Amino acid sequence: MIDAKPDRKSRKFREIDQFDLSEKSQYYLLPFRFHRITDEKEIIVNEVGDYLLLSKGTFERIVRRQLDKEKDAELYGDLIANFFISEEVIPPLIDVLATRYRTKKLFLNYFTGLHIFVISLRCEHTCHYCQVSRVTQNKDLYDMSIANIDKGIEIMFKSPNPHVTMEFQGGEALLAFNNIKYAVEKAERIAKEVGKGLTKVICTNLALINEAILEYCKEHEILISTSLDGPKYVHDKNRHKPHASSYELAIKGIELSRQVLGHDRVSALMTTTKLSLDYPVEIVDEYFNLGFQGIFLRNISPYGFALRTDKSKYETEKFLTFYKKALDRILEYNFSGHYFTEDLAKIFLTKILTPFNVGFVDLQSPAGLINGVIVFNYDGGVYATDESRMLAEQNDYTFKLGTLDDSYNDLFFGKKAQEIAQLWANEGLTGCSECAFQQYCGADPVHNHATQGDMYGYRPSSDFCQKNMEIIRYLIELMESDERIKKIFESWAKTATH
Amino acid sequence: MPFQNEIKDNEIIVFADTSLYSKDSVFKCLYWYGDNYHANVSFADSNTYRISVKPISTIQLSHQELENLLLKLERDLVDFNLRDIVAKETQNVRDLLIAKAFSNGEFDELPPGDVSDPVGFNVNQLTND
Repeated sequence: MIDAKPDRKSRKFREIDQFDLSEKSQYYLLPFRFHRITDEKEIIVNEVGDYLLLSKGTFERIVRRQLDKEKDAELYGDLIANFFISEEVIPPLIDVLATRYRTKKLFLNYFTGLHIFVISLRCEHTCHYCQVSRVTQNKDLYDMSIANIDKGIEIMFKSPNPHVTMEFQGGEALLAFNNIKYAVEKAERIAKEVGKGLTKVICTNLALINEAILEYCKEHEILISTSLDGPKYVHDKNRHKPHASSYELAIKGIELSRQVLGHDRVSALMTTTKLSLDYPVEIVDEYFNLGFQGIFLRNISPYGFALRTDKSKYETEKFLTFYKKALDRILEYNFSGHYFTEDLAKIFLTKILTPFNVGFVDLQSPAGLINGVIVFNYDGGVYATDESRMLAEQNDYTFKLGTLDDSYNDLFFGKKAQEIAQLWANEGLTGCSECAFQQYCGADPVHNHATQGDMYGYRPSSDFCQKNMEIIRYLIELMESDERIKKIFESWAKTATH
Repeated sequence: MPFQNEIKDNEIIVFADTSLYSKDSVFKCLYWYGDNYHANVSFADSNTYRISVKPISTIQLSHQELENLLLKLERDLVDFNLRDIVAKETQNVRDLLIAKAFSNGEFDELPPGDVSDPVGFNVNQLTND
């Protein structure tokens, strides 16, 4: 006779008597956070960003131990499987959860990757929202000196990151193209010597681009990042160029760059201005018609707007309306079979739907400043972010870490860096510490300082908080209400992790 | 006589039992009202918080809007109290989790249960190899 119960212990298949179905409320809570998504739905998010969407009142039932293991079997199973509750004080698979937490914070392993060289402050545009650039021929005063380029490169290669990115910004970077060539060639030599990866990017309005420059970029595998604010009537109003159409130069430059470098070597970024808010559909259409695979709907920079007033709140509300209309248009393209993404949503969705994080400076905790990015200004000043050097142009040196003459340790681990580090993790900030979207969001001390006057920030009136909370909430609402949208969003998130 | 939540002179007044609501949760809740309202907490008696919220002078609310605000405050107090329960109950596990996450495997333990060999591999031998 064959024994129906072989004497074999397996972690996979246990006998029925191993499972205790009699206890109704003997479970322990694990760390998670809660938010109301709509009047009828609420969300809980655990420490590694996994979420469960629940009907109203479920959160309270979970916390008050009112779940019935049998009647609520499906919910109970989901809560156990997704690390929201545990039947033991310490969940048996806590190491799995810890590994997942470590994966979410993987960006900390590498330290600073992006090194921005403000190669020249000179520019031939007079964009009304730019408070940085100078229309001048004075190279001595407004171009980065060779000595400072050398020091910047030396510091860049001290980063423990095995792959560094060197990004040339302006003003208009191409006005100092000879200096760019010098920097690229020197950095390439050193990268080869020390065995580090090196990505090179030139940020340009493309007005000065020509075949000779592009051939050089091709030879040295330099990426082009340009600005495109939308159709001609939006772009030219935002980006004023005396005696010429900035839009036409940008379009011509994009076409030429694609011809020489290849289609995917050229990217474009938009800045939303007050004028842009009236044209969400037209701006999306412009990017789609130009053959881009997506658009990054960047919100209005706080630097041109009044600080902590109802006005800035109003502007954020208007931006959110703009964002939602633009996202609708993007989804229409996806419904009709095109792959076309919105890149802010893509960042959030990667955090929401995958085990991974995205190294995006404004949406990290600890923040991306210093950890992910550093700025070497044209005059030798070293700043925590691009926005920090913009503040410096308004005589606010709060985020100046030092100069290129300082040591690596003094710049990256000095007093100023330590001061900022006190408030660069949203896990420890009032208002953020209990926020359900903490894992999807980040900390931005520079933005807090610029808009609210202190690095810590005040969440109830923060446009950063208002914007991110609503966009995350909206993305979840959209995908939970329409299976087609969920599939589209999943495809965006998948691409982002590749 | 028990205290009644009310709207009085353009002010919302809510009472909360100190044995049910933690001080932390009351303050964490009121934090979100600080932008548009004067918020205040005091004791109505030794067992009851008196929580008041009054719009700042630039904000005029109708009676209906004040009613909605009262509902919102009552609901938010419950939400923040529940959040506080989760945060406090799970603080140790959270600390352990983060310590383990950043310990580079130093404190990892073998998963519970016996390692089985249902398909015939000699697991111990494989490990030793």
